[in-house]
Amino acid sequence: MADPSEKRKEVKKKIRKLEGLPALPPIIQKLNALIEDERSSLTQIADLIEKDQVITTKVLRLANSAFYGFPRKVSTVQQAMMLLGINVLKILIMTSSIFEIISKEDVGLWEHSVGVAACAKILAEMKEVSDPQEIATAGLLHDLGKVVQMIAFKEDYEEVKRKVEDGLSPLQAELEVFGIDHAEMGAFLMMQWNLPERLIEMVNSHHDLSRSKKYRKESALLHLADLLVHARGYGETTYVGLPPFDPKALTILKVDPSEIKEIYLKLEPRLYELKFFTEELKREMT
Amino acid sequence: MQRLPLSYIRPGMKTFEEVVDAQGRVLCGKGVELTESMLQKFQELGVSYITVEGTPVKLPWEKTLEEELELLEKRFSGVKDEFLLHVKEVLKEVLMMKHSSGAKNG
Ligand SMILES: [Fe+2]
Ligand SMILES: [Fe+2]
Repeated sequence: MADPSEKRKEVKKKIRKLEGLPALPPIIQKLNALIEDERSSLTQIADLIEKDQVITTKVLRLANSAFYGFPRKVSTVQQAMMLLGINVLKILIMTSSIFEIISKEDVGLWEHSVGVAACAKILAEMKEVSDPQEIATAGLLHDLGKVVQMIAFKEDYEEVKRKVEDGLSPLQAELEVFGIDHAEMGAFLMMQWNLPERLIEMVNSHHDLSRSKKYRKESALLHLADLLVHARGYGETTYVGLPPFDPKALTILKVDPSEIKEIYLKLEPRLYELKFFTEELKREMT
Repeated sequence: MQRLPLSYIRPGMKTFEEVVDAQGRVLCGKGVELTESMLQKFQELGVSYITVEGTPVKLPWEKTLEEELELLEKRFSGVKDEFLLHVKEVLKEVLMMKHSSGAKNG
């Protein structure tokens, strides 16, 4: 068996070079320049995005998906920008190819991710955590590390699955094979992409709250959202039952058990609508 | 009643609730039989979901209450933690509520 600490170095090196990972859409560089230039207007930014039809279609589809839960249809990039904020929009553009890959390679994981995004947004609104749109995006990305394993480390990923079938916990199996778990892998890739620090910390600590320092509330929120979606049985991950849950999340987030019902009552209609969204994607791909 | 995306709605289905557009304006009352031209108009006005009478569309992914409860037991098998067991009870309640409201009108 390979030495996990050596493997860990190899994995990080590969992610740093973005080997085997989809390239960021070329529009990102121009977009960054425009966002940084204070003189540029929102219309200019929207115009740039709209010139790219493929990206526009993908972004509008995500904006319209039920995990954001906007009551009205988002039909232009301008509208998406107003509703989501330019930063969230940029993240959606950067990660659009990743989402496409998840929905193709592992529909179950894709459904799980959109479910967690919806739940995270509901929790953020209830607990008044700032920028629920961005928090939803963290939900969408939280298992990004699994996608990295799936596409850039195919054989090792099969090995992880075998170990899980043999009874090892998914995180333990990842550590044995990669020397690093999917939470840290995902966060590491997000760092290469210069995504917001808050999102990186949330993703990194979603299975281990002790990894969060600055954004403890947000990390607890994502940990709870992941549990609640597993518990509801929406989507599929390597966990057959429930992932380990740290009750500290409830204290940090100040969630009383009596609030769980309210959360599920808000989540259920979102999940109902999300199913149409993921089914539509599935149909388009076959 | 069944809530469906506009693309699933066919002429002849009857509205169970009012249809409202993006701005919250009422486009159509309840109990109205939908026509092709109405659907066209809804499309233009950005309506995304409509709730219709009965259960006209069989959604292959929808599970019966029994199936849902059975899967719930499976997911929670071996769970002893008090909070997690509470989550399970809440889910049971929510699932039963969901299914009884569907059956009443459907
Ligand atoms: Fe995870
Ligand atoms: Fe997860």
